[in-house]
Order: sequence, then structure tokens, then C-alpha cells
Amino acid sequence: MDKLIAQYTRSSHQNEFYSEQEQHDLTESHPPLSLKFSLPPIDDSRAFLRAMTDDHSNPSCPIKLAHGTTTLAFRFQGGIIVATDSRATAGNWIASQTVKKVIPVSRLSRGEDKPTDAPTPGLLGTMAGGAADCQYWLRYLSQQCTLHEIRHKRRITVAAASKILANLTYGYKGYGLSMGTMLAGMTPQEGPALYYIDSDGTRLPGNLFCVGSGQTFAYGVLDANYRYDLSEEEALELGRRSILAAMHRDAYSGGFINLYHVKEEGWVHHGFNDMNPIFWKTKLEKGEFSNVTSEL
Amino acid sequence: MSSPFDINGGACVAMVGKDCVAIACDLRLGMQALTVSNNFPKLFNFGPSTFLGLTGLATDVSTVSDLFRYKVNMYRLREERNIAPQTLANLVSSSLYEKRFGPFFVSPVVAGVNYTTGKPFICGFDSIGCIDFAKDFIVSGTASEQLFGTCEGLWEPDMSPDDLFETISQALLSAVDRDALSGWGAQVYIIEKDKVTKRLLKGRQD
Amino acid sequence: MTGFDFSNYNRNAALHARGVPLPKATSTGTTIVGCIFDNGVVIAADTRATSGPIVADKNCEKLHYIAPKIWCAGAGTAADTEFTTALISSNVELHSLSTGRDPRVITCMTMLKQHLFRYQGHIGAYLVVAGVDPTGVGLFTVHAHGSTDKLPYVTMGSGSLAAMSVFESTWKPNMNREEAVAICAEAIKAGIFNDLGSGSNVDVCVIENDKPTQLLRNYMKPNERGQKERDYRFPKGTTAYLNQKIISKEDMRKYISVEEASGDPNLMEVDS
Repeated sequence: MDKLIAQYTRSSHQNEFYSEQEQHDLTESHPPLSLKFSLPPIDDSRAFLRAMTDDHSNPSCPIKLAHGTTTLAFRFQGGIIVATDSRATAGNWIASQTVKKVIPVSRLSRGEDKPTDAPTPGLLGTMAGGAADCQYWLRYLSQQCTLHEIRHKRRITVAAASKILANLTYGYKGYGLSMGTMLAGMTPQEGPALYYIDSDGTRLPGNLFCVGSGQTFAYGVLDANYRYDLSEEEALELGRRSILAAMHRDAYSGGFINLYHVKEEGWVHHGFNDMNPIFWKTKLEKGEFSNVTSEL
Repeated sequence: MSSPFDINGGACVAMVGKDCVAIACDLRLGMQALTVSNNFPKLFNFGPSTFLGLTGLATDVSTVSDLFRYKVNMYRLREERNIAPQTLANLVSSSLYEKRFGPFFVSPVVAGVNYTTGKPFICGFDSIGCIDFAKDFIVSGTASEQLFGTCEGLWEPDMSPDDLFETISQALLSAVDRDALSGWGAQVYIIEKDKVTKRLLKGRQD
Repeated sequence: MTGFDFSNYNRNAALHARGVPLPKATSTGTTIVGCIFDNGVVIAADTRATSGPIVADKNCEKLHYIAPKIWCAGAGTAADTEFTTALISSNVELHSLSTGRDPRVITCMTMLKQHLFRYQGHIGAYLVVAGVDPTGVGLFTVHAHGSTDKLPYVTMGSGSLAAMSVFESTWKPNMNREEAVAICAEAIKAGIFNDLGSGSNVDVCVIENDKPTQLLRNYMKPNERGQKERDYRFPKGTTAYLNQKIISKEDMRKYISVEEASGDPNLMEVDS
């Protein structure tokens, strides 16, 4: 009788998705707090970390973290476009112009002998905020996703992967993590899925996100020209143009445009291109950026 | 809150060549991260072959340039001659020191060729008027540390006007490409005794 | 004297109260020394000017003229040492003109200390005053707050400890000119090599009775820059430019006329 009741109290989709054991594995798999990281012997570690690292309020702070970014991702009929700039700044100093801010997550099923332009299965994560926080935790997420693939013999859903990360950041809430990340992927269960996760513990599904110091500029272009039924060609161009606008107006964004397209079979890289020739081409051929003149 | 010198951003550099000097600046005007204008030159003309470069807080750059336009015009009316770069340098120095306890947030650079002696002259100042006479180059602005590096590496004595243009341009462009708050194009003046060449450089727009 | 203009003071004080840092002034993190000898006095200085950790000027002049036979070595805020000595020099000149006598070192020192005391240390000038006058040889230090010292050998600035170690170990009374110049140069070198705020070259000034004062600019150059093996001359046309304008000598005149300057079209429009 109990068994009968139990069977009917379970949701109908239970078996398609995760068993109780699987859910337990997912939720309990993040590391126990304060065992992995030594914390400063301070009451309020967030305030301490801010005092040490926030160069905006204190330009002479002793630790300068690399941040300042524009990243964007949007869903459309052909999948998801992910685009980022490539600049890392420490204060006003441009520490690097060649940062890879798109991080592939879950790379187990990548065949090493596949043709180079074929899609690579897996998720994509983007990096904004503390570079070290993003790299470390996306690598950790990648590990968890890979373990999931080994345990369950199927790729993790974007919903589940994003929840691992969100639970993680929520667990460390108040300890001073700094990250604003987007997870993009396409699974048979979900179709194209896009999530925004940040260090406050926020996790939002959505169609369109821009993250970083140049987000407003990117939103400006993206919102004006976005449609769900964009063609693949149009979508890639819109991603590129949105990042270009942000690079132009935001001091802390610039360098190279990093473009990805997430499809059913996996993601495809559409180049890591210097913005400079693209900018002048856009200006001269399309007559945009008329604020830049050659008048003396 | 950040330093007034780092709010608007901007860079300026002057260099000495053989019988010529060059002065260059970027064109950005920002408000912190936001670029407001890409056409804000920081070089001002105060006589035949006499230029003043001003970086720092944009409101003070405008105020100080206007103040010196007034002072230099008064000088021209009183003396019935143009101001020499050396005289302008001393005028800038004493005017800034007058405001020792309430300074303008600017770092001026003077460059020019003396019209009587034909000698090249450059110098720089801190915000309270201490003159830095240099016989090679002067830098100022948010990219000054980068400029010190590029100029120290690229400058050499007795460059021709053409060589000087390439050297100062490359020094400035390389420096501002490593500074978030300056760039967005640049202006260069090559000053010779009887000719001034003004060029607008094609710089990165990020 | 002409006064200071405090018109920006309230604005800057309000900004500072909101946490805006004060502007970085060029300072002469410095080694300056002075030493008397038989027939006169020697002062010496290094030639580095710094702005925070940056060397702003590699060969600046820290020995300032007051009167033909009174000279000053300055440490502290560079603009303050420059203008304070210029002001006192001018007042000393006027004083000697009105009295018809050669200026005395002690007069100059008193004028400096009274000026600096009035500003309660806000004028950051730390000076070594030296010279000869009808009363004999004078050597003094003047601090920014107005205190003074009279000693046979003195050091000041961030390299004063290194320099003083040289005097304390090798100074002897009744030195001649050559010995005094040598010990001062040695003391400055101790500052140049052991103090990070001091560097580059040694400047020396020798003031002697019945002889013209000698300013030995770059008396020693222990830090000459090595010759570059190759150069980085760029070929013509390396730098791309969008536009150029050549202003000839004739054209230059009209660009700076009083009429045109007053109607600058680039100025911001204001409500009329």
C-alpha cells in the first residue's frame, strides 16, 4: 500500500529527470564550507576583502583584482550566441587584451579526432567579475559536470549545472566572491537554455543577458535589434556589433571579440578577432560611429 | 572616491628633436568608465611655435587653458611681442604656485621652439608649479607611467622632424593602449622654427 | 610679498572631505649636505626629483641662488623650495639695496624661518642655508616648521642618515677647500647609493671668502646611462594618420590673434 501511494505521490516526470539519489548527489556535491579555503581571522571577511581589493572606492588598495568586462549571450531560433570582449584591467592599468572570457564546461564527450570546425558538445560559461573566481569555479563546475556524465551516462542539463553553481555561490555568500556568469547550452530535454548566475546567489533563466561594466552599452544595441527569429548570420553579427559598441564606449572593455554559437550538437567557435579592423570597417562601410571623425 | 586626476583620463607627451620639438595628446574625455567624447584635444596654442598641453581634471583643463589665453593675450598687448616658450613656462609655474593651497588638478607640459634663438624647449610641471626641465621628453596624464616606459625606450637624441613624428606617435599610441582611461585617437604637433605640422593619428577606438 | 590665492581651497577641501586624495606634488626625496672649511663653506645635493615611486626628473637642480655669496640647498616639496628661495632671494636683494651692505647669511636664515613659521609647516621646504658675509662663514639648516640649527656640518632630506654617517666617521676640524668638497661629495654619494629617494648626480657649490662663488653643476656623474647597442628608429610611414594640416610661418600669426582667440568656436555654449 505504501509503495502504491509512494508511486502516485511522485511527480510524473520524476523518472525522466533525476532520481532522489541523483538529486542528492547534485545538491550535496559542493564542498563543505571553510574546509577548503582558509579565511582571514576577521569578523566580517567581506568588508575586509572589499577594503583590500575594491580599487573603485580606494584607488590605493593593496590587492588589485582583474575585472571590467562586457559579456553577452542571447537565445534565438538557431541556438544561443555567446560573445565577450577580452580586456582585463587592474585599476586603470590594462593588464591583458587577450583574455579568454568564454570557458567551456563539461568536455568529457569531446572526441579528439573530430574535424576542427565540428561542434564541440558541452556547455559554455562566461566570465565577468573576479577572473580568478570565475576560472576556479567554472573549472570546479566542469569537474562536477564530468562526474555527472560518468555517473549517469548522459550529459547534464543546463538547469542542473547552473543550479550547482548557484548553490555554490549562495553557500559562499558574504565571503566576498565576485562573479557574474552566464551558462549556455543545448540539451535534448531543454532545447537552447541560458542562465545567469552571480556571486550573490542569483540564478535566472532568460532569453538575453549582458553582464559586466559595459553591459548597458551592449543592451542598447542588442535590445534594439533583437528578434527570436534572427538567422544564424544575423545573430552572429548582432552579437559582434553589441560587443563592439560596448568596447567603444566603456573604458574597461576592449581588445578582441570572442564569438561562440551554441547549437544542438554542441558549440562552435566563430573567432577571436581584434576589434580595431572591425571597428574601422563598420565605420567606413556602414557609416556608423559617426562620432569618430577625421576633421582637424 | 577616485583621484580628480583619474576621473576624465587623458595623456600628453612632448619630445625634443634636432631643431624641432613635438607635442602630442590623446583625444578622450571620459567620466570614469564612460567615454563621453572622442574629440577633446588637450593641446593649446599660445604663440607661433609655442604650445601648452594640459591633462588632469577636464574642468580645470578648460579653466586653466582659458586663464592662460587671457594672461598670454595681456602679455602680448603689454609687450607687443609673442610669448617665448621659456617665458610661458615661468608664467605657468608662478600662476600655479599662486594656488599652492588650492591647486588646479592639472599636469601641464610646455613645448615650443624659441623664435629668436631657434632653440627647442620643453618642460613639465606638477600641479603646484614645480618645473621639470628636461632635454629629452616630458610626459603627463593617466598613462604617464606607460609613457615613461615607451619614451625611455624609444627616444634618442637629434631626431629629424619625420623621425620625431614616428617616435612620439608610437610612444603615445603604445602607452595609451595599456591605459583604460586614455586613447580614442591622438593629435600630434611637430614644431619647427618656421613651420608647424598638425596630424590626427588613427588610434584604437576601445 | 604677494599672497597665495585660496580660490580653489574650499572646493578642494570639500573634495578631500569626501575622500578624494590630495594631488601628488613633485618632491625632492633628497640628500643635501653642507660643511664649513677654513676659508668658506661647501653645500652639495643629489639631482633626483620624485613623484611617489616615479623618478620625475633625473637631473634637477636643488642648489638655489639667494645672493652672490649665499646659496641654499632644498629638500621637501620641490615647488616650495623653489619659490621660497626665490622669494627670499628677492627680499634679500631689496634689503641689501636699501641698506647698501652685502647681505648676511643669518639675515637670510631669519627671513626664511619667519616665512616658514608663519605657514606652520604647510610650506614643505627643508633647507640648508650657506654663505660667507662680513661676519664670517655661515651654515644653517631651516626646517619647514621654522626651527633652525647652526652646525659645522649638516645633512637633510631622506638621505640625511646615509650622508651623516660619512660626516660622523670622516669629518675633522679645519679642513681645506679640497677636503671639504671631497667629504660633501662622498656624503651625497652615500645618499645616492643607499637612499632610494636620492639618485643620479652630485651638484656642489663652493662659497669662499674673497673669491667668486663656484657652482659645480654635475660635479660627479656616478650614474651615467649606458649606450644603447641598437636603436628603435621607425621607418617613415609607420604611424597611420587620418588627416594633417601644415601651418607655415605666415599662417601662424593669424592663429594667435587676439580677435580670433576671443571667439573660439570650440568653447562650450552658455545660456545667453
